[in-house]
Amino acid sequence: MAVTIQRYHQRRFHAGLIAKHAVINLGVVIILLPLIWVLLMSVKSLPESYTTNFWPRQFDFSHYGFVLTRIQTLPQNMFNSIFVTLATVAITTFCAILGGYALVHVRLPGRMLLIWLLIASLFFPTRLLSLISIYEIQRQLGLLNTVVGLIFPYVTLNLAVSILIMRGIFEQLPHELVEASRIDGCGPWRTLFLVLLPLLLNGIVVVSMVNFVGVWGEYLLAVTLTNDQATRTLPVVLASAHSGMGQWAYPRIAAVYVIAVTPGIIIFALFQRLYFKGLTEGAIKL
Amino acid sequence: MATVASRVASAARAWRSTYRVSDYSNLLFLIPATVFFVGWQIYPIIRVFVLSFTDYKYLERNPPNFVGLHNYINALNDPLFHVGMLRAFVFTVVFVPLTILIPLVLAVLIDRVTNPWLSSFYRIVLLIPAVIPGPLVFVLWKWLFDFQIGPVNTILVEWLGIFTRQTAPQWLGGTPLSLPAVIIMEVWWGLGYHTMFFLAGLAAVPKDLSEQARIDGANEWQLFWRVIVPRLLPILSILVVLRFGTAMSVIDEYLIFGGFQRTSPTYTWTVYMYDLAFRIGDWLQGYAAAIGWLGAVVMMVFVVGMLYVFRSRD
Repeated sequence: MAVTIQRYHQRRFHAGLIAKHAVINLGVVIILLPLIWVLLMSVKSLPESYTTNFWPRQFDFSHYGFVLTRIQTLPQNMFNSIFVTLATVAITTFCAILGGYALVHVRLPGRMLLIWLLIASLFFPTRLLSLISIYEIQRQLGLLNTVVGLIFPYVTLNLAVSILIMRGIFEQLPHELVEASRIDGCGPWRTLFLVLLPLLLNGIVVVSMVNFVGVWGEYLLAVTLTNDQATRTLPVVLASAHSGMGQWAYPRIAAVYVIAVTPGIIIFALFQRLYFKGLTEGAIKL
Repeated sequence: MATVASRVASAARAWRSTYRVSDYSNLLFLIPATVFFVGWQIYPIIRVFVLSFTDYKYLERNPPNFVGLHNYINALNDPLFHVGMLRAFVFTVVFVPLTILIPLVLAVLIDRVTNPWLSSFYRIVLLIPAVIPGPLVFVLWKWLFDFQIGPVNTILVEWLGIFTRQTAPQWLGGTPLSLPAVIIMEVWWGLGYHTMFFLAGLAAVPKDLSEQARIDGANEWQLFWRVIVPRLLPILSILVVLRFGTAMSVIDEYLIFGGFQRTSPTYTWTVYMYDLAFRIGDWLQGYAAAIGWLGAVVMMVFVVGMLYVFRSRD
C-alpha cells in the first residue's frame, strides 16, 4: 500500500517534471525558431528563398558578400548606426553617472522632487508627443537629415531610466567610502572619478546595454528626421526594403538582418553575467 | 578613545558645515543631463502644447495664428480619433494580460529548475528577444506572417493542414488579423524580458516558505496564488502600469505592420497623429499636436488611476 502510494507520487512527480520542462522548452523553441528561420533564409539560394522550405537544400553564403559590397549605401547606413549608437551610449552613460551620483552621494537641494520627476517621465509618452516639435527644433538647428542630429533626441530616449538605474547602483555603494574620501580631502568630483568610478562597472554595463538596444534599433525618430538613403540607419533601411528580385531579394534582406541583430546578441552574451548582476542590483527596484 | 565610526561621523559633520555653500554647486552634476532633458524633452512637449492651440504649419514663414480650443473641439468630434482611441484600447486590453501572465507562468516553472546549467541556459535564451531592437523584431515578424513565404502560414497549411494555400489567413495589410499578428509579435518580444523580471522577484521569495506551505497541505495552485503571487505583486503592478502606458502609445509596429490604411485595426490615434503631422500635408501640425496631447492625457488618467489602485493595496 505504502509502496504504491510512493510510486504513484513518484510517477506524478515525473509527469510534473516532464510537463514543466515541456512547457519551458516550448517557450525556448518559440523564441528561437523565428531567429533560426531568418538565419537559414540568409543562406538560401535565390530561387529557393521563394519556396516554403524550412531547411535549405543548398547553402549559399554569397548574400553576405553581396549586401556588403554591391549595395552601395549599405556600408554608409551601417556606419551611421554604429556612429549614432556609440556616441549616444557614451553621452547617456556619462550623464547617467553624474546624475545618479548627484542623486545619492552629494548634498543636492530638491533631490526627491527630481527623482519623482524622473519616475513620472517613464509613464509619459514623451517620444511620441514631442516628435512634432523635435522635427521643428532639428530643422531650425539645421540638424534635419543629418546623422549627428539624431544623437541629441536619442540621448533623451533612455536618459531618465539610465539615471534611475545608476542611482540604484550608487545606493549599493557604501556611504562610508564617500565619507572616507572626503576626510582624505577629496571634493565631490574627485571622489566620483577616483574612488567610485571603478565600482560602477555593473551599472555602466546595464545602462550601456539598455541604451545600445534602444538606440541601435530606434525607428520612429530616425525615419522622421532623416530623408536620404545615405543618412538613414540600418533599421530604417531594413524596414523600408521591399523584397523583389532585384538587389533586395529575401535572402539578402535576411543577411542584412543577421548583420543588424548579431552585435546586440554578442554583446549581451559577453556581458550577460554583469548584466544580470547589475539588473538585480539596480534596475528592479525602480 | 574615539572609534573610527564616530571620527568619521564628526568629520562628516565638519564637512557638512564647512561646505554648505557648495550644495548648489553640486547641481553642476546635473547640467549635462539637464541640457538634453530641457532641449529635447521638456521644451518640445511644452512647444507641442503651445502648437496645439495654433494653426501652425512647418513651411509657413508667418508666425502661427492662435485658434484657441478649435483644434481640441475638432479632435473631440473627430470619428477617426474616437476609432483610433478605441483601437488602441482593444490592443492594450488584450495584449497587457497576455504579455504578463505567460511570462509569470514561465518564470515560476524556470524558478524550479534545479539543474544550474539548464537554468542559466533557459535564462540566456529567454533574454535574446529582449536584446533585439524593436524595428528589427517587427521586420522579422512581418516576414513570418508573410502570405507567400512566411513560416506561420507554412505551419498552418503544410504542417497542420488547417488551411489550404487558397484559404490561408492574410495577416498583414490592414486585415482584421493584423491586430492578433501585432499582439503575438509583442508577446514574443516581451516574453523573455518579463520572465527575467519575475525570476528576479522569485529569487527574493524564500524557498522554505514554499516548503512550509507544501507541508501545510497546500497544492500547487494554492501555493501559486497564496504565496508566489502576493510576493510578486510589487513587480506585477509596476509591469502592468508600464506596459499599459507603452501599449496605448505604440506606433513603430503599426507603421511597419499596418501602414496608413485608415480601416486597418492598426490605425490608432498614434498613427493618426503621425499621419496628420508628417504625411497628409503641411497644414495640420497644430491639429496633430492637439490629438497627441488629448491621447496622452487620456492615457495619463488611466495610468494615475492604476498607480493609485496598486498603491492603496500595498
